[in-house]
Amino acid sequence: MRRGGHISGIALVVAMLGNVSGVLAYEIGEVTSGGTISGKITFQGAAPSPKLFPVNKDPEVCGAERTVNEVVVRNGLLQGAVVILEGVKAGKPFIASGYRGEPPGEGEFRYGGGEDISLEILTKGCNFGPFTGVLTLDQPVRFLNQDPIKHILHSVSSRDDKGLILRTIHNRELRPDTSAEQTFYSSKLKRDRVVGIHCNRHDFMQSWLYVVTSPYYSLSDQEGTFTIDQVPPGQYELLAWHPALGLKRHEVQVTEGGEIEASFEFVGK
Amino acid sequence: MLVPMNIGHVVRMKKVLIPLVFISVLSTGHEQTKAALLDGFLGPVERSLAERVEKKGERLTLGNFYTPERPDSHAPIGVMQDHTHNEGEFMMSFRYMHMDMDENRTGTSTLSDAQVLSQFPIAPTDMATNMYMFSAMYGFNQTVTLMAMLPYVEKSMNHVTRPGGQFQTESGGFGDVKLATLWRLWAVEAPSIGTHRFHLNLGVSLPTGDLQPLDGTPMGVQVLPYPMRLGSGTVDFLPGITYTGQTPDYSWGLQALGTHRIGTNKFGYSLGNNYNITSWVARRWTDWISTSVRFNYRWWDDFSGADARLNPAMVPTADPLRRGGQRLDIMAGVNFLLPEWKGFENRISVEGGAPIYQDVAGPQLETDWIVWAGFQFVK
Repeated sequence: MRRGGHISGIALVVAMLGNVSGVLAYEIGEVTSGGTISGKITFQGAAPSPKLFPVNKDPEVCGAERTVNEVVVRNGLLQGAVVILEGVKAGKPFIASGYRGEPPGEGEFRYGGGEDISLEILTKGCNFGPFTGVLTLDQPVRFLNQDPIKHILHSVSSRDDKGLILRTIHNRELRPDTSAEQTFYSSKLKRDRVVGIHCNRHDFMQSWLYVVTSPYYSLSDQEGTFTIDQVPPGQYELLAWHPALGLKRHEVQVTEGGEIEASFEFVGK
Repeated sequence: MLVPMNIGHVVRMKKVLIPLVFISVLSTGHEQTKAALLDGFLGPVERSLAERVEKKGERLTLGNFYTPERPDSHAPIGVMQDHTHNEGEFMMSFRYMHMDMDENRTGTSTLSDAQVLSQFPIAPTDMATNMYMFSAMYGFNQTVTLMAMLPYVEKSMNHVTRPGGQFQTESGGFGDVKLATLWRLWAVEAPSIGTHRFHLNLGVSLPTGDLQPLDGTPMGVQVLPYPMRLGSGTVDFLPGITYTGQTPDYSWGLQALGTHRIGTNKFGYSLGNNYNITSWVARRWTDWISTSVRFNYRWWDDFSGADARLNPAMVPTADPLRRGGQRLDIMAGVNFLLPEWKGFENRISVEGGAPIYQDVAGPQLETDWIVWAGFQFVK
């Protein structure tokens, strides 16, 4: 009896610590008469100045100095905000797409699309890719280091929208011209929705991703506009997030074939 | 000479090793466990720090144990188990230590040879110890770093006798192998508050060192007394805790390590437990050189039991109740970070110093100076 109790206890601990991968609770199906949500992200006030980083390691590859422009605003319109439609359980497949980092960085977030997001992060020119992006949990993210130098991938997650307290998820070496897969497990991130990927050797290498559960997301473009299409009719919560500015929410009602305008405004300090 | 372990050793080793191996195996679900064991348990502290750094436009990062490539990212070379490694990373080290002991003392007072000879027929006069330590560290997962240390030790001791004779004894061979696990506890960092990391040290020392070295004495070839032996003969538990901190130009640390003897060895005695507290500050002058100052306090108990083959009335080094003491050393060191070679990060370090306080249950030889030198490479 006592022995059995011990075994049960051990089994429980092992199960708690074991590799119990979560499953993306999203089903792909045909969307007929889906609606479309589109809008603009505006920014009021003064955008923070780009941050300047002297390059201490590997200047021959990374350059003598680098800037990180966290908030990119053109004519009062915010680029790179992530817009997420929450609560969609079934619908269109993930869309293949790619987003490049800001020059001189040549990194890219490449979303393979299809049944899952299939995110590849192509690191090049000491740059992971754009400042913002999305990812899904419990699916491997492939990191390809295309630089001839090593980077130290340090990924973090945060429960708060601005990433004020960051918890380390991964910390591993990305050797030159190699690839590595890392999975962001839901059991580890729990309710965290903000993920940061940094290089511990090059502090200017930083990107921020929002955890999505469906392909119903969009990133605002150079004109600050976004579009989410093929949305199954229903009532949802629409979020707009930027790692330096936080999170905004709207309730939206999508009707069959309906076109909805939804705009967000962020305010600078 | 490696000493074969008897069944008692094996049983005692199992008592210590099995729990360590078990908890290490549990932690292999590394994607599920936290990188640092206390992540999330210090919520109020973390929130308070986060609020403080937010006012300066900074973010607080928890659980990042990455040690940047800088000369002082490792402690002075005389400190071991001072840092952890990321998963899959390994480090090899070679350390050389020389310790010179000259003259006897009891309490805090120096004794002349004549004073020792008034109590014993033989008095030790000086001793030199050379240790060559090979060690390896491996990042088993994001929480646990494994470490193994294999020392090769050479000792020589000079003596005088009441009739005026002199003789020297020598011993040499592998010492006790130490296996350690380093558990990441908590790490916090932000530009304005620096980096602060804590880890737990749990290890065992295995009785592989020679307990009965022989050498010639005026009484013929004899088993040498306790200080000349190369191991403890017992399985020893090695608990500890380490804190390290870092800013762009400075680094520092505080480490407490203990050695707890489990049982007695096959000759009926056990060395005293000992406790070591060390604290250091290092200044990084350039990308490749740093200097350090370190204080090291060590306290060690008298032995329990006695080796019946030794006569404690002959020489103080054969008396198990004249083995305890405490000592405070001050050490100065320099670390050099060499250019990376084929992906290996290389360091050369030297550290030396002397006691500024020692109090022993004497007569015992007093320590004069200690020097460490080492080479480390990380892949």
